[in-house]
Amino acid sequence: MPIRRSSPALALTLALIATSAAGTSAADPAPPREAFVTNQTADSLSIVDLDAGKAAAEIKIGGKPAGIAMAPDGRFAYLTSPESKELVVVDAEKRAVAARLQVGQGPLGIAVHPKNDRVYVADWYEHKLYAVDAATLKVVGSVEVGKSPSGVAVTADGARILTADRDSNQVSIIDSASFTRTGTVAVGERPFGVTVDAEGRRAYTANVGSDDVSVIDLSAGKLIATVKVGHRPYAVALAGGHAFVTDQYGGTVTVFDLASLAVVKTIEVGEYPEGIEAEPGGGSVYVACWEANTLERIDTATLAVTARIPVGDGPRAFGRFLRPPGPLSLPKAPPSLPKAPPSLPKD
Amino acid sequence: MLRLVASFLALVCLWPLAATAHGPTRQKVVETVEINAPADEVWAVVGNFQDMSWHPAFKKTEGTGGNDVGATRILTLEGGGQIFEKLSKYNAEGKSLAYEITEVDVKVVPVTNYSASITVTPDGDKSKVEWKSAFYRGYVNNDPPPELSDEAAVKAITGVFQSGLEALKKKLEGG
Repeated sequence: MPIRRSSPALALTLALIATSAAGTSAADPAPPREAFVTNQTADSLSIVDLDAGKAAAEIKIGGKPAGIAMAPDGRFAYLTSPESKELVVVDAEKRAVAARLQVGQGPLGIAVHPKNDRVYVADWYEHKLYAVDAATLKVVGSVEVGKSPSGVAVTADGARILTADRDSNQVSIIDSASFTRTGTVAVGERPFGVTVDAEGRRAYTANVGSDDVSVIDLSAGKLIATVKVGHRPYAVALAGGHAFVTDQYGGTVTVFDLASLAVVKTIEVGEYPEGIEAEPGGGSVYVACWEANTLERIDTATLAVTARIPVGDGPRAFGRFLRPPGPLSLPKAPPSLPKAPPSLPKD
Repeated sequence: MLRLVASFLALVCLWPLAATAHGPTRQKVVETVEINAPADEVWAVVGNFQDMSWHPAFKKTEGTGGNDVGATRILTLEGGGQIFEKLSKYNAEGKSLAYEITEVDVKVVPVTNYSASITVTPDGDKSKVEWKSAFYRGYVNNDPPPELSDEAAVKAITGVFQSGLEALKKKLEGG
């Protein structure tokens, strides 16, 4: 019997969080402390404190936000609001909207370049990928891709950008320096999310129409395997030698081994799981569940759900939504680091 | 010149209103009802995927596959038109089932990519029935006509859920 999800049982949540707080070794990279979850139905952004296991803030966004990406230093979150056709910039520290700008006709998928301040926005209706300069907040380029591009991913070295062209059943590969499309790879039916591994060796698309994941060899530019997963797969996260795939209609996360490509487990999560991302150390994967209104944590060692955190209505978190700790934030800094010389009068 | 500026300002002020119907946004409708009957009795009615006669909007249910995942049914509406559906999950122990529309004319129901679930939860001698759905509007591009807008889709499904749950309650409470 699936876990009951209709009422978020607070006691259970708290108990689960208590057990999940232990178990990170000092050698791991600093885990993200916050998740930024776009709530499309509520038209808001939930900022979840991952240590406390609860939403610390919910801010109004406008335009029904869906897609999200994070600046590499964790200072800003970039959201797409398809209904208002905007890119919305959120100051992560201030927890406030810092800027907004019109981009295309149907902005949805979004990703950030690791080094050069470019934000890439896929336009569902115009079949283009836009490049926005994050410093000046101006559209600086666009490139034609396939029909209804949805997910966007950038290789860790920043050399290539991938779009999942949903209605063309393909992935477009774009050279980021010249911002031109250098190739396409045919995948399964209706690819939605696309994820690249840390080495830039392989890419994975979740194919909503054919209930499978396509595995692409990036250096060969070829489809090398197809893995059957649950019903209506939406997005893929990679951690601990496994792929974690959200199955929207299934209400599950399918886990398969990255070497053998064999499915090892199907995990029951909240209804309509959508956005999924692994923390950099790989110890946890976080899943936004659209119908259940939760952000859920999966322990990648035990493959069990260890936290179920209530967020706003209709969370999608389509993209990278875990805030990188970044060079600027100190681990668990005291909340009141002085921002001004102490001699100044308090307001 | 001033007039031009004024009309431009008026346009800017109106713009957010016009923009709310745009974009690929999935809609959600959830309706619940409390029924003064044991959960087993309620489930005996709503748990039969092949019989939607408890809902006043549907004249006829025809289907194959019983209550097995993958079973199909065709619902014929009182007002004409048909909805083709497939059972995607069935949990007798948890008294929950999920299904999706595989085919429907948006003139019959103004939705696309529709899926839904019905769950019966016992509450002593009573029960709670929760009917949840996820769908997109009938018009998949920007600028939908009013009859295929998000609002039209939500209104249609809310109507189907509310009238169905009300009839179910009446039937089971013997009213």
